[in-house]
Amino acid sequence: MTLPRLALPLLRLVLLCCVLLAWEILPRAGAIDSELVPPFTDVLRTLGTLLARPQLQTDLAVTALEIVVAFAIAVPFGAVLGLVIAESRYLSLVFDPLLFFLFSIPKSIFLPMFILTLGIGFWQKVGFGCFSSTLLVLLSAQAAVRSVQPEHLLIARTYGATPFQLVTRVYLPSMLPILLEAMRIAVIFTFTAVILAEMYASRSGIGHEIETWGENFMMRQLLAGVLLIAVAAIGMNEAIRRVEQWCGAWRT
Amino acid sequence: MVRCMADVIQHPASAARAAGAAGSIQVTGLSHAYASGGGPMEALADIDFTVGTGRFVVIVGPSGCGKSSLLMMLAGLRQQTAGSILCGNRPVTGPDPDRIGVVFQDANLFPWLTALDNVAFPLALRRVKPAERRRRALDMLRMVGLENFAARHPHELSGGMRQRVSIARGLVQDPPVLLMDEPFAALDEQTRMTMGEELLRIWAATRKTVVFVTHSLQEAVFLADEVLVMSARPGRIIDRIEVDLPRPRTYAMMAELHFARLRDRIWQHIRSSHAL
Repeated sequence: MTLPRLALPLLRLVLLCCVLLAWEILPRAGAIDSELVPPFTDVLRTLGTLLARPQLQTDLAVTALEIVVAFAIAVPFGAVLGLVIAESRYLSLVFDPLLFFLFSIPKSIFLPMFILTLGIGFWQKVGFGCFSSTLLVLLSAQAAVRSVQPEHLLIARTYGATPFQLVTRVYLPSMLPILLEAMRIAVIFTFTAVILAEMYASRSGIGHEIETWGENFMMRQLLAGVLLIAVAAIGMNEAIRRVEQWCGAWRT
Repeated sequence: MVRCMADVIQHPASAARAAGAAGSIQVTGLSHAYASGGGPMEALADIDFTVGTGRFVVIVGPSGCGKSSLLMMLAGLRQQTAGSILCGNRPVTGPDPDRIGVVFQDANLFPWLTALDNVAFPLALRRVKPAERRRRALDMLRMVGLENFAARHPHELSGGMRQRVSIARGLVQDPPVLLMDEPFAALDEQTRMTMGEELLRIWAATRKTVVFVTHSLQEAVFLADEVLVMSARPGRIIDRIEVDLPRPRTYAMMAELHFARLRDRIWQHIRSSHAL
């Protein structure tokens, strides 16, 4: 059975509405403990109230800044390192297995170490955020360089490309799709790491607020915070994915 | 020197044109050996030939005879170990896109560029202005019959179309010489035949000097003014055959006895070189 084009998004929307409806009705009807899961509209109203508060706005700004700074450090650093290692056969042979092992270690176990060395301020969260995503960017940069086809370099050489032109006209366009995808995932990793660090030990940031609400059993605020972050994360992901799609339309 | 004299005696008119002409190619004493596990491996041995301006020369030989390596050296993409290559009386030491265009077996188009931008690529490297290079690229696409596909990406084109874009790219800088390394080998037979006719049409219109490498004997006789037959490794030129079929060539000629005789002569040479 072939579905018309609009059917699929419509189906998804209907599914979402069903879930939200359940979230609204079941707590009100008493089928779910409304202390544990407040109804959806209650949560929305709480979210509205929270967003109006300057304290929360500051928290959101702090978290956003931490993520941006961590990302801005991790991406160039990881990318350059990845490129250098990939371009050197010797370095590749030495480092590839080590990097692979490092990647498999869960980064969250290092959080206490970051707190001991960097405290619980802004830079500790930035540091941990960087730490969590640098390796990913590095590995992706390697993969991106290795994806450049030698035949394309041959063509560029045949038509007299300078080394600079090789980089700008062959390497970069070839590598762009993989790099964009790496950046999208790096944003997720950084986001996760910063929020985790804030939840674990922090005096500011949205992660800290969520942790506080959770501890004090303030379910409306907690769910409001969860909702907010979920929407923000999905929004960021989608934005980068759109850029990826537009840049990588030729990748079939 | 004896070889050059022999060439002059064979085709005096073209040799006279060849002397000092921009599109001529002169290969003298070319040999190539490379290091391998079992000692130095001789790939090419003592190759001498001259290609006059505007001539269509086909190099044919068995797989592994070094004909593609020879073409890479003519293009300046590989260095030979001995001997000299002159193009337009200037030595070939590296890629020279102004004088030599190259078409490889795989079109190797950049997938992130449209057909037009792929053809314009050599011009973009030379910093030609966008409007100018678009115009010239479109002219080339028109010549290969693909002006309606200028905005398409390579993945939207068939194998034959991609190869035509590659040919357009090779011609966009209007080089006097075009080198082609088995450009139709990856295509099916029917497309090969169509492309062969297309190529001769383009060559008749532009009068480039063409050196075409293939291992199809039929293709060699159909396309060439002169066929250079190479032996198996180490590659030497074991025969030079002047193809005196009239132009424009048609596929009907393949049914003629003369065509079959020429093809057979090439085959006999290659077979006997295998036996050595």
